[in-house]
Order: sequence, then structure tokens, then C-alpha cells
Amino acid sequence: MSDTDIIEQLKQGSEAAFKTLVDTHQKLVVNTCYGLVQNREDAEDIAQDVFVEVYRNIDKFRADAKLSTWLYRIAVNRSLNHIRDNKKRKWFHSFEDEVANKRREAMQVSTSNTDEPEYELENQQRAIILREAINSLPQNQKVAFTLSKYEELSYQEIAEVMDLSVSSVESLLFRAKKGLQKKLYKCYKKKCL
Amino acid sequence: MKCNTVHNKLIFFLEKELPVSEMEQVQKHLGECSECARFATEMKNTLQFLDNDKVNDENPFFYTRVKERLSKQAEEQPAVRPFLVRILQPVAFSMLLLLGIYGGFKLGQVPKITTADTNMTEQEVIPYWNELEAEPIEAFLME
Repeated sequence: MSDTDIIEQLKQGSEAAFKTLVDTHQKLVVNTCYGLVQNREDAEDIAQDVFVEVYRNIDKFRADAKLSTWLYRIAVNRSLNHIRDNKKRKWFHSFEDEVANKRREAMQVSTSNTDEPEYELENQQRAIILREAINSLPQNQKVAFTLSKYEELSYQEIAEVMDLSVSSVESLLFRAKKGLQKKLYKCYKKKCL
Repeated sequence: MKCNTVHNKLIFFLEKELPVSEMEQVQKHLGECSECARFATEMKNTLQFLDNDKVNDENPFFYTRVKERLSKQAEEQPAVRPFLVRILQPVAFSMLLLLGIYGGFKLGQVPKITTADTNMTEQEVIPYWNELEAEPIEAFLME
């Protein structure tokens, strides 16, 4: 079933079409959210909200637009809202909560079972450093970088999602990589890498 | 090529986004400089993590949860309020607010008292308030 068929049937209230839409685009949405919020549970939670929004606003969807572009846009906006709300909430969090969260994140990083705990620990540390570096990027750079790395979108596709020109996306990605390189080098100098 | 230049171009070298000539120059430098080579390896290993840090598996209960959320939101949504309530309620609240503001102004106004009235009040009150002025101590002792 093509995206156009799904949209048409969904506009007529077909539940089967909605299930097809969710099943075919689940990974795309969850992965985009995950790239931005860096937490699997939160990413799934946001992704569910994305599909609820799609279901409720399907009538507003323009026929000439690409369904995936629309999904990416909603996913990015929802994830950014989540990050903003989390920042506000962090003001009221205790230090212990923060440490517990970091520990949970560190545990999440490890996905493979290995017999080399040292190697695994090093990998976890690398992952945390990289995530911190990505998270410290300005919002637009972070979105462009995430869409490029996690979803492997082309410059043109990122430009459509972010409603920017291709040259702006090129510039954003260039600056994002420069920023990331600078942060990783600083970390390397401090021997934390 | 200097170490600083290599550091600035390293991420683009690892992503193979440099022109061929620059790629060769960086490659050559990395062969000669052990410090830059070590940083390049560290950076490569760190960036490689991005390739594996993706959600590859699908949650089998995802659709059920989306449906659950949809029905929950439908239940929580309040019923459409009648037209009169939608109009009358804000009007009533606005009137109450205006009435409150008007009352506040009225209460806050300084009462107008003429000077003559004030003098009379002073003359009437002072004897009770300040006995010494009304009856000096000498006169009191003489009695």
C-alpha cells in the first residue's frame, strides 16, 4: 500500500490503514526521536504521541507533501518540546536524581553482551561523551546532525524537513561537525576520551 | 600540513568529505605524526558509536499503545459545550472583573472633607485627647 493510499483510507477513517501507517513508519519516528532525546523509553513515548497527532490531524495533511517529511517534522518538534520541558523539570531535580539518570543512561548504552568488561566500560564512556557533545550543539545543528546520522537523510531531505535551503543545511552540518570535533579534541586533551 | 590544520579537518577526513588532495595530505600527516594518529583513532572509535546507536528493533506492542492512548484521549476530551455557555460564561466573568475594578477604584478614593469640618473636629476632639491643653497643671494643683 502506497503512502497516498494510506492517507486516503485514513481520511475515510480506516483503522487498518492507521495500523499500516504505524507499522511501516514506527522505526523512522522512534529512531528520529531517539536521536534527539537519547532515551529509548522517552523516544517511544514521544513516537506514540506523534502517531496520535497524525491520526487527529490527517485532514490537514497536504496531498502534495511527503508523508515521511510530515512525520519527521512532527517527531522533531515533539522531541524538542520534550527536551525543553525536561530542562525546566531539571531545575527541581535533586543531584541524586541526576546521578541515577546518568547511571541508567550508561546502562542503556551497553546493548551487547561481551566478555570484555573493560572494553565495554570504555565504550560506555565514549557513548556518554559523544552524547554530551551532540547535546551541547545548538538546536538547529543538533536536528540537522541527528537527521543526517540517525536517519541518513540527504541534504535535500533535511532541508525539506527543517524548511531550510540546502545550503543552510550544509552550513549547519559543517558547523555541527566542527563543534563536535572541537569538543572531542578538548576531551581528548583532558584525557577523558 | 601542521597538526592544528589536521585537527580542524579530521572529522571531515573521517567522513571522507575532503577533496582528494587534502585527503592525501591528512593521510600522509597521520602516517608521520603519532599524536595526531592517536587522536584520529580515538575520534574514529567514538564516532563509530553513532552507527550502532540506532533503534533497530520494533516494539511489538507499539500499535496497541498508540490505540490505547488515542482512546484515552478521546475519553478525557470534554463534551462540546453549548453555544450559550461558551458565550455567556466569558461575558459574565468579564462583567465581574469590571465590577471588581470599579469597586476597587471606589474604595481607593480619598473621602472629600471640607476644611471647616476638619477644624471643628479638631476643636471638639482635642480637649479629650490632650487634657493638659484644656486644663493646665497649675490650675489643677490650685484646686
